[in-house]
Amino acid sequence: MKKTLLVVGLTALMSTAAVAQELGASIARFDDNFLTVMRNGMTDHAESLDGVSLQVEDANDDIGRQIDQVKNFVAAGVDGIIVNIVDTSAGAAVSEAAGDTPLVYVNREPDNVNELPPTQAFVASNEIESGTLEAFQICRNLRAAGKAGGAKGYLMNGQLSNQAAVQRSKDVHDVIGMDMCNFMTLIDEQTANWSRDEAQSLMTNWLSAGEEFDFVIANNDEMAIGAIQAMKAAGIDMAAVEVGGVDATQDALVAMQAGELDVTVFQDAFGQGRGSVDTAIALSKGEEVDSKVYIPFKLVTPDNIDSFLDKN
Amino acid sequence: MAETSHGTGGLTFDKSKRAWPNELNIFIALILIICIFEALGQLLPYMNGQSLLFDTKGRFDSIFNEARIKIIILQVSIIGIIALGVTQVIIAGGIDLSSGSIVGASAMIAMSFAQTELVNGNPNPKAIFGPWAMDLPAIIPVIVGLLCGMLAGIINGVLIAYTRIPPFIATLGMMVSARGVAKWWSRGNPISFPTEDYAWIGSGMMPVIWFVLLAVLFHIILRYTVYGKHTYAIGSNEDAARMSGIKVARHKVLVYTIAGMLASFAAIILSAKNLTAQSGMGLVYELDAIAMAVIGGVSLAGGRGSIIGTCLGMLIFGVIISGFTYLKLDAFYQEMVKGFIIVAAVVLDQWRQKKAAAKT
Repeated sequence: MKKTLLVVGLTALMSTAAVAQELGASIARFDDNFLTVMRNGMTDHAESLDGVSLQVEDANDDIGRQIDQVKNFVAAGVDGIIVNIVDTSAGAAVSEAAGDTPLVYVNREPDNVNELPPTQAFVASNEIESGTLEAFQICRNLRAAGKAGGAKGYLMNGQLSNQAAVQRSKDVHDVIGMDMCNFMTLIDEQTANWSRDEAQSLMTNWLSAGEEFDFVIANNDEMAIGAIQAMKAAGIDMAAVEVGGVDATQDALVAMQAGELDVTVFQDAFGQGRGSVDTAIALSKGEEVDSKVYIPFKLVTPDNIDSFLDKN
Repeated sequence: MAETSHGTGGLTFDKSKRAWPNELNIFIALILIICIFEALGQLLPYMNGQSLLFDTKGRFDSIFNEARIKIIILQVSIIGIIALGVTQVIIAGGIDLSSGSIVGASAMIAMSFAQTELVNGNPNPKAIFGPWAMDLPAIIPVIVGLLCGMLAGIINGVLIAYTRIPPFIATLGMMVSARGVAKWWSRGNPISFPTEDYAWIGSGMMPVIWFVLLAVLFHIILRYTVYGKHTYAIGSNEDAARMSGIKVARHKVLVYTIAGMLASFAAIILSAKNLTAQSGMGLVYELDAIAMAVIGGVSLAGGRGSIIGTCLGMLIFGVIISGFTYLKLDAFYQEMVKGFIIVAAVVLDQWRQKKAAAKT
């Protein structure tokens, strides 16, 4: 019995020794929908590659913990590290913690993205696209609905400390500032922290003020769905209101099929996860890699929804 | 202090020493906060004389802005249900940090038994189990969810009552572990699209109805039953309670079990209301629930507090959230003011107690 155990143990040791590429990843949060799809993209892709092992850690939205995780990966001698950074303004500290070990930032853009050393890279989608695609399509829909004479609406922000939320909201303001879309005005903008439940409460609070409105733009789909649920509960005709989100989650696509959500933007979470693993492997082999690898956003409307149903 | 007591052994009822009920203070604070918002609504030029609670546009039959009054209560009623459980835990001299995580875990587990097979005619894209777990009667996920909360509560209670570790530590452990369960259950994936029957539990004003029913029930339980009297007795003086024959350990297990079940019931309502369960659900709900109780005059030292107080504390939370949205002020200010009110409530309460003690 003891001998069998020993043999099993030895084989286990040998099989780990046979792994050519050991990667470590630190994800900002395990309980975030989008990041979960991205994480699945990473683990699925790593499993499909021969000789690649991937260990994924949850930083629990704590930048201090994330930096420690990076240091632990370095101490363990991994070949590459993937970081989905908690706090986008802490890029310098994370980059320093990685030292000479190849490091790939995924999804969230660190503030030092333009000063990354050759052993580091950034894989994501360009956030300027997402909010712009979303707001511009809402603008076109409103024009098509004959509301070019003036349209009022609300903007729901994601977490105020998050770079994507700040950028997406800025995109919306930029679009509204364009000549073609300056008939749109915002009654109010507030944060609902990416959360469906908070968005429901926020929308109901807005509704209680009794102002007429034509559109609701949210920084992500979860908040758009929360707003839709609140409007439906208040008996508002969803055909009369333009609602937009970002992410193209399954729940959002179902809402779009039901005619409630009008616009969302597909961010290739799976592709980002896969891309981060590929980039980390390339860096660890000493290959030349672009310091910014962009995976494009795609606009999703009821017209092209079918090609996105099985994506995220 | 040196004053000799009147009557037989100083036990007679002395009207002059009768305390002004604490709930009244909290009620006055609530009215004051509402008045501040109303005044700001009149004074700030961009508000155009809108009112927080009153109907200025003739939209409703009554003089009140019914839609806003509804959302004020609706947005806090789910955390309010957790606060009911937390109130009795704190009165019994304990604390429960695990309720938010129990919400997350119970919502995930319950929701995976509440899913519907077809969504818009397509198979459910978020299905957790096979067809056997689809379109089950709503009572099954409800029971499963309540069992989760019960199990977590029993573990909390047994740890606290029999290993004698501080409630802070025991429930802190549960807070971390239960959140782990919530994330592990579906590897972080959200679980969506419940049956219509399940969704009914959290639809419209149902969360408020559940809350009111439970609040009345727990008011009666804490005030008029043996269970309530034992809870207060243990919180006031545990040794005295033990010596007077109360089975302290057993009672504590019961208190934490009930708190766990209330948290899981809140999870069921929350997931039904949102038509989804996500592993991050209920994050920091435990602290909001504790804050509601504390603002409502529940003493962290144990033995003092009431369900009515907690309900008022809950309403203060609701008024603040809606008040800031009504003034179109951002969430930053809301958090700052919330923090201030929590601390101010306890400072005022301490001061009042000291004054009351000096009187006798």
